[in-house]
Amino acid sequence: MAEIDSSGGGKKDGGKKRSKKMSTKIDMTPMVDLGFLLITFFMLTTTLAKPVTMQLNMPDKTDTKETSPVKLSETLTVCPDADKVYYYQGIPTEAGTVMQVTNYSATGIRKVIADLKAKVGTNFTIVIKPTKKAKYRNLIDMLDECAITNNKRYALLEIDPDTEALIKRSGK
Amino acid sequence: MPKVKAKRQSVSLDMTAMCDVAFLLLTFFMLTAKFRPEEAVTITPPSSISEKPLNSKEGLLMVSVSPEGGVYLATDDQMAREFMLERMANRYGIAVTAEMKKNFMSSEIVGYPLGAMRQILSMKPSEAKDKGLTKGIPIDSTNNELSYWVGYAKLSNPELKVAIKGDQNANYKVFADIVATLQAQNINIFQLVTGPENKPK
Repeated sequence: MAEIDSSGGGKKDGGKKRSKKMSTKIDMTPMVDLGFLLITFFMLTTTLAKPVTMQLNMPDKTDTKETSPVKLSETLTVCPDADKVYYYQGIPTEAGTVMQVTNYSATGIRKVIADLKAKVGTNFTIVIKPTKKAKYRNLIDMLDECAITNNKRYALLEIDPDTEALIKRSGK
Repeated sequence: MPKVKAKRQSVSLDMTAMCDVAFLLLTFFMLTAKFRPEEAVTITPPSSISEKPLNSKEGLLMVSVSPEGGVYLATDDQMAREFMLERMANRYGIAVTAEMKKNFMSSEIVGYPLGAMRQILSMKPSEAKDKGLTKGIPIDSTNNELSYWVGYAKLSNPELKVAIKGDQNANYKVFADIVATLQAQNINIFQLVTGPENKPK
């Protein structure tokens, strides 16, 4: 099989005398076997994609310092759900508040955020209230959308009954 | 008509080139290999466009969430690990033998209620995992053991950074509970571990 053959044949001359020309034929099969075994091992154990992190800063609960209020018109509330995103502006209990729904694609929530951000300007704030059905992935997707649209102002809150009622009322 | 004679071909083929490639690959994988840390459960984190690599000189306290919602704790700070075990055992009146300590230190991950600690630490970490005993640390409001574990780890090394690694299919509620638990201890900065993803254009 795998072998290096560069011998000119050492046994032709006959006789018992050990010639200097030893056969250089080496059986490389075990070496190759071992090589492939190791390759397989390293291929399976290696992780090429190194994990990355996104930092999430939550407000200090012990901090009683008064924070500046944000205007309703400059705020968008998004509720990530399992496979769709609800969003609205305003107060959930008011009749005029319209709950809309979109998806996680580039033309979905990203466009909504980008359009509103262009309209509102620098004070634009996103409030994230994941629903009870939301998966961890949905939250990361949402935070990711904030990063993609270059929004530094966002808050992560628990969903409140009013918002849940609004989702129910919208029937979407 | 002359018959086309099938030539007897030599079965010996030159494998030198193949060997070369094989060993080249081998060298590559050996040099780039970074061993996967032991995991109590397989967790597939969601991906994000973030580019910050996960590393911390001060030490890392990793809270993992399995797809089923089990909570696991790991830290790369050996001192903090030892301290955690001592304090937790003390708190719940568990006498720690040398063997239990060895088993605790050799397993990267804590993922069981304190009630099962004695049983689990009396066997090897892999054995406990095979038996399905590592179901996660309780984080209910009535029995929030995670809070103690984290508290002691932070007490041992206040510089520890808290990372949360959740499976993409884990329920958001578990994440919210963990964040609430940690916030109660005034830990407000979290590193969310994700897989890399390309930035959209």
